[in-house]
Amino acid sequence: MTDKPILVVKDLQKSYDNKKVVNGISFEVKKGEIFGILGPNGAGKTTTLEMIEALRPIDGGSATIDGIDVASNPYKIRSIIGVQPQSPAFQDKTKLSELINLFAAAYGEKVNVQEFLADVDLQEKAESYIETLSGGQKQRFSIAAALVHNPKVFFMDEPTTGLDPQARRNLWDLVRHVRDKGISVILTTHYMDEAEVLCDRVAVMESGNIVALDSPQKLIKDLLKRGFKKQQHVEQANLEDVFIDLTGKELRG
Amino acid sequence: MKRKLFTVLTFARINTRRYFRDRTAIFFTVAFPLIFLFVFGGLFGNSNNGVSFKVALLNQSSSQVSKDIAKELNDGKILKVNSDVTTIDEAKQRMNRGEIDATIILPQNFGETKKGTTYPSGQAEILYSQNNQQAAQTLQSVLQGEFKAINAKLVDNKEPFTVTSTQTNDQSLSSFDYTFTGLLGFSIMGLGIFGPINIFPELKKQGILRRFHTTPIRVWQYFSATMITQAVVGLFAIGVQFAVAMSVFHLKLVGNPIELAIYIVLGIMMILGIGLALGGWAKNERQAAPLSNIVVFPMMFLSGTFFPRFLMPEWLQNVSNFLPLTPVIDGIRLIATEGKHFVDILPQLGLVSLWGIVIYAIAFRVFRWE
Repeated sequence: MTDKPILVVKDLQKSYDNKKVVNGISFEVKKGEIFGILGPNGAGKTTTLEMIEALRPIDGGSATIDGIDVASNPYKIRSIIGVQPQSPAFQDKTKLSELINLFAAAYGEKVNVQEFLADVDLQEKAESYIETLSGGQKQRFSIAAALVHNPKVFFMDEPTTGLDPQARRNLWDLVRHVRDKGISVILTTHYMDEAEVLCDRVAVMESGNIVALDSPQKLIKDLLKRGFKKQQHVEQANLEDVFIDLTGKELRG
Repeated sequence: MKRKLFTVLTFARINTRRYFRDRTAIFFTVAFPLIFLFVFGGLFGNSNNGVSFKVALLNQSSSQVSKDIAKELNDGKILKVNSDVTTIDEAKQRMNRGEIDATIILPQNFGETKKGTTYPSGQAEILYSQNNQQAAQTLQSVLQGEFKAINAKLVDNKEPFTVTSTQTNDQSLSSFDYTFTGLLGFSIMGLGIFGPINIFPELKKQGILRRFHTTPIRVWQYFSATMITQAVVGLFAIGVQFAVAMSVFHLKLVGNPIELAIYIVLGIMMILGIGLALGGWAKNERQAAPLSNIVVFPMMFLSGTFFPRFLMPEWLQNVSNFLPLTPVIDGIRLIATEGKHFVDILPQLGLVSLWGIVIYAIAFRVFRWE
C-alpha cells in the first residue's frame, strides 16, 4: 500500500426532491487499499458509489479517480473502474466464456478467458450457462467479469449479502487477492465483522454525512477510550465458529 | 474506431448465438408466424384455383343420360357432390345448415325421349336457399355449360352470337400474395417491437443493462449490435416463411432475392427502432405494455397485416399509407411478387428511410439503462 491517493472525493453532494441524500462528503482512498463504506439503509452509501462510478450526475463537489475528473470524463472513468453490483445478474443462455468475452468487448478488449476464470476457480465451468451457477459461484464470476479490463479501482456494493458463511469467507480471500494485484477496492457492507477483518479503513455514513473515518482497530480503540463497556462473554468462539467447525471451510456449489 | 466496431461485432455474434438457443424466442419468431401462415393460407390460398360448390345430387331418373350426367358431375372438379344425401328433406336440412350450397335434382322423366322427338330431353332443377342465390346462379351457368356440350351432340344447333373469354398472361396478384406479405409484416413487427418491449424491461429489472452501463459501451454500439442480431434472426425467420409459402402455397418469387433480402433487412431495422424506443424508454413492463398497444394495434390493422389495404375506404388508405409498416409490407410485395426493383419503389424506400431517421432519433434520446 502506498500513500498516494487513487480516489479523491471533495464535498460531494446529491439531492433528490430538495432532500440532501449526500451532504458534502470528502474522503480519499489510497492505492491498494480496501476501503469500506458503512452505514444503515438510506445513509447515502449507494448514491455515493453511483456518483463516483459515473452512473449518476454529481450535484455538487467533485470526484477524481487517478487524476481524472468523474463528472467531465464519464467514459474514461468507466474504462478504469470495475463495478460489482449488489445482485449480480447476467443474461441467461450464455456461457461463462461468452460472458467474459462480452464484458472484455465492452471495454474494447480481447482476453484469455481461461485465465480469468481460473482466478475465481471456475475454469471447469467455462462452457456452462450462467444460470447453472450457485449464488456464491455467481458472485465469484461477477468479480471476474468486473476485472476483465484490469481496472485501477474496484467497487463492490454489498458483495456478501445472501451468501453462506463458506462463500463469504471465500469471497473475502478473493477481495484480498484483488487488492494484492494493486487494485484499490471500495465496498459497502452491513456486516461489521466483515468490515473489521477485511477493510484497511472504513467510513461510517449517517444521513448523508461521514461521521467517522479511520481503520476499524482505531475506531474500536477510540470507542473504548471514551469509556464504552460491553457485557463480556469469555468464550473464545462464537456460533459462526461452531458452524464452520461442523460444516467445514470447503466451498459449496 | 476499430475497437468500437469490435465491441459491436462481439455483442452481435454472442447474442445471435444466444437467440438460437432460446426455444421460446424461436417459437415466437419462426413457428408462431408459420401457424398464421397455414391458417390464412388455408383460407385465402385456393381462391385462384376456381370456385367449387358443395352440392347434393338427387337423381330420380333411371335413364342412361341421367346416369352419364350424374357421373360427369361427380367426376368434375367444379362440384363437390355430397353422396350422403338421398332425399329432398335431407338436402333442405343441410342447405339450411349451410353444409351444402345447393341441390341439383334430375326428375323422374329426365332423359326420356318424348313422343314426336328423336332425342332425349329433360329439365334439371336447382334448389337453393335464400342465402345462396349467387351460388345458385353460378351453378346454373355451370350446368348450362355442361348441357350445351351434350345438346350439341344430340341436335345440330346454330349459334350466331357467342361470347368467349381469354385469360391474359400477365401476373395478376392473388389474394394470397397480399395475405402472405401482410403476415411477413406481422412477423417483422413481432421481431422488432414485441421482442424488445418484452426483453428490455426484464433486462432492466434484473440490472443486466445497468451492468453494461458501468462499462464504457455506448448506446449506439449496443443498438448496432442489437440491429445486426435482429437482421440475422429476421432473415432466418422470413426465409423459413418464404420457403413454406413457395413449397406449400405455390407462391412465386419473381423478384431479385438479393434486393428482397436487403429491403427486408432495412424494414426490420426501421421497425426494430420502434421497439428500441419503447423498450429502451420504459422502466418496467407496466410502462411498456400500454404504449406499445397504442403503437402496434393501428399498424396491425391499418398497414395490411391481416387484411389487404385495398379493401379499405380511400381516406383510410391515404392515412395508412404513411404508417411505418405500410411501406415495408408494400415494398416486400412489390419486389417479391411483382418483380419490381429499387428504382421502382423509391417512394417506399424513401418512407422507410425517413421513418428510420425519425424513430432512431427518438430511440437514442429516450433510452435508459435502468
